[in-house]
Amino acid sequence: MTQTRREFLWAAGAAAAGLAWYQAQEITWTAEQVAEAGWEPGIESRLASACLLCPARCGIRGRIVDGRLVGIFGNPLHPMNRGGVCPRGIAGVQALYHPERIRAPRLRTGARGAGGWQALSTEGAVALVAERLRGLRAGGRPDGVAVLAGYCDGTMHELWRQFLRAFGSPNYVADDYRDGIDAVMSLTHGISRRPAYDLERSGLVLSFGAPLFEAWWSPLQAYVAFGGSGGDRRDGSRPRFVQVDTRFSRTAARAQEWLGIRPGTYATLALGIAYVLIKEELFDADFVARHVTGYEDRLDAAGRPQEGYRSRVLRQYRTEEVSAVTGVPVERIVALAKAFAERRPAVAVIGAEVMQAPDGLLGGLAVHSLNVLMGSVNRPGGVLFPDDPPLEPLAAPVLDASARAGVARPPISGAAMPFGDGDPARRFAQAVAGAATPPEVLFIYYANPLASSADSGLWTRALSRIPFIVSCSPFLDETARYADLILPDALPYERWQDAPAPASYPYPTWGLTRPLVTPPPGAVHTGDALLALAQQLGGSVARSLPYASVEELLKARARGPFAARRGMTLGDEFERTHYRQMEERGWWLAEHTEFEAFWDDLVARGGWTDLFYDDTDPARLARTPDGRIDLMPPQLQGALDAAGSGPALYAYSAQPAGAPTPEFPLRLMPYRVSTLASGTLALEPWLAEQPTLFPDRHWVPWVEVHPATAERLGLEDGTMLWVRSSRGRYRARLKVFPGTAPEHVGAPYGLRHPDGELANPLQLLDGSADPLTGVPCWFTTFVRLEQA
Amino acid sequence: MTRWGMVIDLGRCTGCAACEVACKSENNIATVSPDQADLGRAFAWMKVMTHVEGEFPNTTMRFVPRPCMHCDNPPCVQVCPVGATYINDEGIVGQIYARCIGCRYCANACPYTVKYFNWLVPEWPETARAYLNPDVSVRPKGVIEKCTFCHHRLQKAREDAQALGRELREEDYQPACAEVCPTGAIVFGDLDNPRHRVHALKDDPRAMRLMEDLGTEPKVYYLTPRD
Repeated sequence: MTQTRREFLWAAGAAAAGLAWYQAQEITWTAEQVAEAGWEPGIESRLASACLLCPARCGIRGRIVDGRLVGIFGNPLHPMNRGGVCPRGIAGVQALYHPERIRAPRLRTGARGAGGWQALSTEGAVALVAERLRGLRAGGRPDGVAVLAGYCDGTMHELWRQFLRAFGSPNYVADDYRDGIDAVMSLTHGISRRPAYDLERSGLVLSFGAPLFEAWWSPLQAYVAFGGSGGDRRDGSRPRFVQVDTRFSRTAARAQEWLGIRPGTYATLALGIAYVLIKEELFDADFVARHVTGYEDRLDAAGRPQEGYRSRVLRQYRTEEVSAVTGVPVERIVALAKAFAERRPAVAVIGAEVMQAPDGLLGGLAVHSLNVLMGSVNRPGGVLFPDDPPLEPLAAPVLDASARAGVARPPISGAAMPFGDGDPARRFAQAVAGAATPPEVLFIYYANPLASSADSGLWTRALSRIPFIVSCSPFLDETARYADLILPDALPYERWQDAPAPASYPYPTWGLTRPLVTPPPGAVHTGDALLALAQQLGGSVARSLPYASVEELLKARARGPFAARRGMTLGDEFERTHYRQMEERGWWLAEHTEFEAFWDDLVARGGWTDLFYDDTDPARLARTPDGRIDLMPPQLQGALDAAGSGPALYAYSAQPAGAPTPEFPLRLMPYRVSTLASGTLALEPWLAEQPTLFPDRHWVPWVEVHPATAERLGLEDGTMLWVRSSRGRYRARLKVFPGTAPEHVGAPYGLRHPDGELANPLQLLDGSADPLTGVPCWFTTFVRLEQA
Repeated sequence: MTRWGMVIDLGRCTGCAACEVACKSENNIATVSPDQADLGRAFAWMKVMTHVEGEFPNTTMRFVPRPCMHCDNPPCVQVCPVGATYINDEGIVGQIYARCIGCRYCANACPYTVKYFNWLVPEWPETARAYLNPDVSVRPKGVIEKCTFCHHRLQKAREDAQALGRELREEDYQPACAEVCPTGAIVFGDLDNPRHRVHALKDDPRAMRLMEDLGTEPKVYYLTPRD
């Protein structure tokens, strides 16, 4: 039988179809199966929010795919960071999805710190705290509750304060980055506020140890100014950065010029520059004559002659002597002074390092006096004193009799120092570890004193005296481990919060974070928990916090900027320029007539800002009784006179504090690593791989030592060491680095060994502080290195 | 003709390493253990290199962010026996992981040491898989990987521009490092397109390329600092 061609093809086709049908039995193409696999159509969005990982509070945009946060980028609409972002911000996704995150409340079961935990529902946890607190109020001890909080400027700070006040406790204890610079401004200008620095419009930024490109208030603000990518500079010119520093930091490395000086001599160098400015008449004599007191000699209130700033500087700060003390060559001091006078507007930035010294307040005054001499205050490119964002205040607190009595009692941490409150957390720990009646309940919010403080032993003693400790940490850090109850906060990408720009930024800017992804079911937004707690406590506490959620509270606060008739929701460069120029001419344009539309826009764009600074307002120059800047503040003079011997204002201190001994020959120079600063977050692998300057340093904490010193000690690069002071020791690897002074040990702070062991140089510190501000001294401790 | 390239202004680079970390996030770059990192096996498609000179207080330091140079005459492509590493007609040097046999000839041939070998199976904790970028494949053990100028972004940008019926603009396609750079030191675009900033910047008197004498014709230019 022959087959026609047609028959053959039909048969072959049928066979193929049969085979295909047979195979298709194995592959089912049904919608049900797709649903079972949990697959959903991919949806991608980029949403504006703000970063809360450091005080800079940059605007960010999260890239969200299918409900997961897969990338963090800068928000180009945010005027401070303009689309830029730092490594720490980008690595936020690794914190969010960290395997060690605490995903539900936990109650301690065994001994403290032993690690026994029992899971708890969020409602159960809040009810447990409410019960404890009710007991305190019933027992007439509302002041038995205390809060230890890290940096949380903005609504969370106010919420805690309001809660404590309505409950009846004066015990809010801050454990943040305070450095006492607000005291310098308060004394000279009568304005108790950290100064803002208009870096972007400055001609020359002279930084005295301020880690502008590292762990400063806002490195992004400094980056944008350094990059010269925006602002009023149409000519493409950029500010010149000059870094005066005791170690060769990344800021020093990238500044156009750097001067290495001896520790504790910042004030001497500043006044040495002032000497040249005065001697050569380069300073702004008109500004000084019109706005400054204390420059010339005068009679004090009792009619006795008092030497003024000018005479003191000219008498003591001859350039050769300044050079001998600071180690900076004479010609560089003169050239620097001339540049400071020529590249106006120039601004001198006080670094925290200036303040962390036994005479820190006086050092800060000396550095800031350069701004006063050059009239770089309340002028573009200088030191500015902007307003805070015009937020609607929280509801007026209602205090019942119990709360009034509690609030009136003295705080556990006792009185602050005469000119500031440099380290309230330490005073609190000392009081609690000592004789004071300890609080019954302590809330710990973004603070980890067992790891980050200078004296973890003191904190262990203090915490052991507190019966009930509630930690809000989303990670099991050292202090959380010691808690009785952990109410894990949602991460910043999962919660509503506000993010006001730090004080260093010259324009009131109010960023917003909002949930980009859903938090794990057991995570509790601390703010929402606090509001729920207030409702459960009822009475005046509930009436003081009449908000259902933090979202509602923020929305209520946004009524302030909506009604302020100034500023704008965040916008691009065109909108920013447009609004600033309008406001300069006294105009303002309402973007929104309806509040709801304003709020939606605020959330969509990531916040609100007002880029107009009114430098004609004299109240932004000085709020002293006579309206003038005072270079010789009488209250400080009085305090120094009363102390008798000791440092005097603008007086010569030839020697840096502390001296080496044969036992401890090297000065410890701790510094914050920008990417790893505070130790309240778990280790993020991307940051551990790339911590800082040295590409060959991964994971393992290190200390920096000059090659000659390493050779003298017979230590090789990479050796594991004990760094030891009279107070203690820690383990770190040796990094031979020629940028460290031969007599120093550069000690990064914020690092951990891969197994979690801390490497905290602050625990070696001698515990001294500036007696005027209470700011701890970081650079007066000496150590030795031993092979581990 | 499109020729994608990069100009990095070293006078603006502060060595903050945002580029480095943004790259790790964008490209699903695996983290190796601390011990492996000590052996030099950590990945960094973009790496901030540093160079120190002088002793305190006369120290200077240079920062050089170093991605793949995307050479017009790439030595890695010439030595690859299986065509896994290739240069496309827009000048991007890419890596096809499925073709790579792990011989590492390219890693040895590359004078810029930008090719990284997966010595181990890359690992992510279960929870950490959530942040992997779905646009970029993860790599298996035994293959080479490298900077791609984030070419997955180009594909998307081109589709988006086509959907809008317009030409691709400079800002449509930026690699992650350029997007996040807070000082604007990293500029990216088409070297042959006069409307892109890199076109003029590459001819700046300060412009130079790494190891130009090797004849690799890198498409990453550096502007030396002014002072």
